[in-house]
Amino acid sequence: MKNRLKVLRAERDWSQQDLAERLAVSRQSVNAIETGKYDPSLPLAFRIADVFDKRIEDIFVRD
Amino acid sequence: MHPIFRDPAYNRYLKRFIPASVIYAMAIVLASVMIPDKASASPMTIGIALLPGLACTIMIWAMARLLVEMEDEYLRLIEIKKALIATGFALAIAATWGLLELYTDVPKLPVFLMFPIWCGGLAVGQLWLKVKSA
Repeated sequence: MKNRLKVLRAERDWSQQDLAERLAVSRQSVNAIETGKYDPSLPLAFRIADVFDKRIEDIFVRD
Repeated sequence: MHPIFRDPAYNRYLKRFIPASVIYAMAIVLASVMIPDKASASPMTIGIALLPGLACTIMIWAMARLLVEMEDEYLRLIEIKKALIATGFALAIAATWGLLELYTDVPKLPVFLMFPIWCGGLAVGQLWLKVKSA
């Protein structure tokens, strides 16, 4: 699954660590999601959407 | 520092695993001192010999609880993958060596070594996942 995490992060000038702290996950998790190595669970996807104040479908896109 | 060490579940794991491993070491010493070689099975020898196994069971339970309680879902997935690889590794060794024992006169592999072999499989899993993600 593709995602816009890197772009959204860059718009806010957040590092992966900044986003990880906001989501209460490890930086490795953010990196894995951002690079498409790992698709987050629905609860985590909702948390990501909340952090960016967007809808899940605005962040995650089907391949 | 590996990110798993920052997970609160890891502290709980250590609080369970370390006492169990200390009990395991003490029970092994106790059994070695108290039970003479080739002793026959009696309620006392069986009771003493079961103590290290009980401690081992607590260690395995602590490892299982770590997987259940880890809050970071991605790191939990990595640990679960490692455990699956370790399980496959241990089963492959047990099956292969067992057949060797059946058809040849290779030395017998003591069954109690399966847990340490499984733990060795965790290292194999770690290495495999590292190579795969490189």
